[in-house]
Amino acid sequence: MKCKSLVILLFVCGFFALAAAEEGSGPPDSTHVDSIPPPTPVSMLTARDSENDHGHSVTLMWELSTDDGAGQNSVLSYEIFRWVPFFMDTLQSIRDSLAGAEGTIAEQLRKRRDQAIAMIPGAHKSYPEQGGWRKIGTALSGQSSYEDVGVKDRGSPDYMADHTDYYYLVDAVTADPAIRAPSEIVGPVQSFGQFFNTGRIPVFVAVLVFGLLTILFVTRARRGAELYVRPLAGIEAVDDAIGRATEMGKPILYVLGLGSAADIGTIASFTILGRVAKRVAEYQTKLIVPCYDPIVMTVAQETVKAAFLDAGRPDDYYEDIVYFVTQSQFAYVAAVNGTMLRELPATNMYMGVFFAESLILAETGALAGSIQIAGTDQVAQLPFFIVACDYTLIGEELYAASAYLGREPILLGSLKAQDYAKAAVIILAALGLLAASLNWTAFINLFSVTS
Amino acid sequence: MLDVTFGIPLVVLSDVGQAISLLLIGGGLLWIFIRSLKAKEVDRRVVFLFIFFAVAAPILFPITFQEKATPIVKKLFDKVESLPAGSKVLIAFDFDPAMAPEVQPMANAFTRHCLVKGYKVIFMSLWATGQALLTQTLERVVKGEFPEKQEGVDYINLGYKAGNEGVLNVIVTNFRMMFPTDVNGVPLDSTAVFDGIKSCGDLDLIISVGGGKPGIKEWVLFVGDRVNVPMGAGVAAVVAPQLYPYYPKQLLGLLGGVKGAAEYESELVKHYSRFEHTDTPGLRMMGPQTLAHVVIMAFIVIGNISYFIGRRRERRR
Amino acid sequence: MRRTTIIAMAVVLGLFILSWILRSASYVTVQEHYLIGGLKVTFSAFLTLAILSFLYKDNPFYKFLGIMLLMRLSRNRGWLARWPLAFIVGTTAGLNFVRYLRSDFMEQVSATFVPLFVDWKGVGYFISHFSLSASGQFVAIVANWVIFLGVICGIIYFFFSKEHKGVFGAASRVGIWVLMITFGASFGYTVMGRISLLVGRITFLFRDWLGWIS
Repeated sequence: MKCKSLVILLFVCGFFALAAAEEGSGPPDSTHVDSIPPPTPVSMLTARDSENDHGHSVTLMWELSTDDGAGQNSVLSYEIFRWVPFFMDTLQSIRDSLAGAEGTIAEQLRKRRDQAIAMIPGAHKSYPEQGGWRKIGTALSGQSSYEDVGVKDRGSPDYMADHTDYYYLVDAVTADPAIRAPSEIVGPVQSFGQFFNTGRIPVFVAVLVFGLLTILFVTRARRGAELYVRPLAGIEAVDDAIGRATEMGKPILYVLGLGSAADIGTIASFTILGRVAKRVAEYQTKLIVPCYDPIVMTVAQETVKAAFLDAGRPDDYYEDIVYFVTQSQFAYVAAVNGTMLRELPATNMYMGVFFAESLILAETGALAGSIQIAGTDQVAQLPFFIVACDYTLIGEELYAASAYLGREPILLGSLKAQDYAKAAVIILAALGLLAASLNWTAFINLFSVTS
Repeated sequence: MLDVTFGIPLVVLSDVGQAISLLLIGGGLLWIFIRSLKAKEVDRRVVFLFIFFAVAAPILFPITFQEKATPIVKKLFDKVESLPAGSKVLIAFDFDPAMAPEVQPMANAFTRHCLVKGYKVIFMSLWATGQALLTQTLERVVKGEFPEKQEGVDYINLGYKAGNEGVLNVIVTNFRMMFPTDVNGVPLDSTAVFDGIKSCGDLDLIISVGGGKPGIKEWVLFVGDRVNVPMGAGVAAVVAPQLYPYYPKQLLGLLGGVKGAAEYESELVKHYSRFEHTDTPGLRMMGPQTLAHVVIMAFIVIGNISYFIGRRRERRR
Repeated sequence: MRRTTIIAMAVVLGLFILSWILRSASYVTVQEHYLIGGLKVTFSAFLTLAILSFLYKDNPFYKFLGIMLLMRLSRNRGWLARWPLAFIVGTTAGLNFVRYLRSDFMEQVSATFVPLFVDWKGVGYFISHFSLSASGQFVAIVANWVIFLGVICGIIYFFFSKEHKGVFGAASRVGIWVLMITFGASFGYTVMGRISLLVGRITFLFRDWLGWIS
């Protein structure tokens, strides 16, 4: 106990975060030269805080120059300038010095940097004195908007402070960079983050609806309401398959797949294994469960032991029913194939997460003359199981099977909620079809998620 | 020379060897068909031999077919073709040597297309093994066929970064936080390629080449849908069916397996004469691929006929 | 400094794992060796998570959560670790929920909003401009109908709350046909993938080993 406390204390006192290096930014802009007539500048320049973000961003919009891509003084690009206080150069030189500094000098530089950063909002209030215009970006001809995006990391040269007055202007630039027309200056504009991203309202509504449905049905299931789940052909065949194995006096092979204990497919497989093990215990048939994952093995052992206890035959359970093989994919398959060809099981069950080895397993089982029942949520492996096995639980049927057999409130409730969500999708698809045919763009736009 | 036109693939037989191999395969299939009609079993090893021969013969005696790009490939090609000059394109090499025979021809084709159009190309990989394959493309395609392109100006290699979806989560808002320098240690800010790029949202097109996890699904989930950047994909054949739901809304186009690679290569050759003599492994592999598929289809048909005949015989007894 | 710290921490944790494994191997079976190793890795993951929260977050709230996570090592205060774990699980679930619901649900649902009649200009125009090419109107209309009916019937097949009888049953059968055709296409794609790997191997044999081809 004392040793443990010491270890904890050591770790807690041991380590602290340190930040690291920075970069610079560009020089001030150029002045205008009067030689040939400049193009017409952009008009109606507006600047506002960018919507639906975490702040540190301003969106500029303007009406294109009348010389945009045409006319005598063809505008080829737009250069965007932001007013920046002069002291930002000092801040930048502090950041540059940090790159090579170490120890206490670096600490002092960081303090000065942080002090300088804290002065940024105030410095912007000294506009138009104590600062100059700095080019921050370029837009091509035809573009009438630009998003000035900064970062929230205070140590970065791209740091853009929120709740700070910013001023912008846009230059319409011709092929000769010296020939340009500046716009009216726009500002002050402040950036700030939004609490709620309105572009994701459709997702929010879907989350709410689906969440409420799940809570509703799980609650109903917990209160003992009868929630109907239709019978599945694969599960109904399990009892017949176990009976076949008992009559033939041959074992049953149950493969849990190559997933970990955290995979949903494996968890569903445990429920089905429990059901199979209980029947096996009742009929006193031999059961073989080779495992790929050690954690899965331990859970499977507990499941089978509990099933044997449930069937009233705890003494028939022995450790070697469920055993670990290897965590190498094809070595595991080789071992299971060897077991199939030696033991010649009457029934093979593949329930869980499978990968490229699925066809090898199913083919070898077919060669051995076993009846095969498979179930996986791996879409890429379903074709192989469907071709080589007698019954296949396709994708979600595997989860439905575990809900059907286990009758656990959470599984049943979430299955019901999913069914209602599917019904909603069918109705929405039908409405969407009408909307697309009759051009109801308002309905279609309800489902567009921006940002 | 056997020459067939009007919508039927143009088979180019360059020498007697091709004719003999085709005759042997055809003759062998006929023999199997006759055996199956007589309800005689065909050893599995004969089937394996046929597949081997169907693949080996077109490799030894090259048979090529004309490829016409299907809409799902053409859309991606047209998008790459129509981007404005100086566009920034990211190509992610998210595959390992096991998938390379299928997807590396795609990656090379994308690279050629982007460089010939004068785009700025950003190369990166989310797979540790992808970096070596990326280097192969840089050596053979970029430096070999486009010696005038300069690293840092026309293209940049960011290399591999560990973190799978975590990497995507960061670069979607800030590239430099995840990649402060390129693979050679050059700061991104000092490169012309990254001028004006702060995050994935500033890119004009993202192409993910691969087929596992992390792969195109993660790119769509974490980047494409989040910042509405146009996305394209080139994937291994095994994975392609799972990605069709993302087309055409979330993915502009999808190249599936060697067929997709062959279609893209044929479009490239059609549009740019400089690639006429470039190695096109996708097109080259379609010869053995097609012949193997024909043999497999013949086996399926023969097998089914034999099954139904056998069942009828059983009923008569 | 941070990098050096992380590497040192990784070395220390790695030695911890090895020492635990060595100690336990003397009296447990090979099977349990994996289990114990797995459990010790879990402890190390907790420690790493806790320590990284110190290194990477200036916010004292995260430091506090990190300390609570470290309480996992304590017998009496171990329950405190459940709170930051709940925070981690909840955050991950919440982020992934939105991500998958958007990309795999909303976008897919809106992708099924296809018009029944594409660019319909009337029956006369349709007949006069009839075309079986991929870009033709007829094919586009058939494709849209197949997408719509295939999606609806496929979803009906996976409906578990109602027995598949009558019209519902018929739609479910159409759904399973659509699914089987999809799986057939997927199977074909996989065969293509395997054949291309075989082509790669045989090319290697003929070119790099036997030198029969250049």
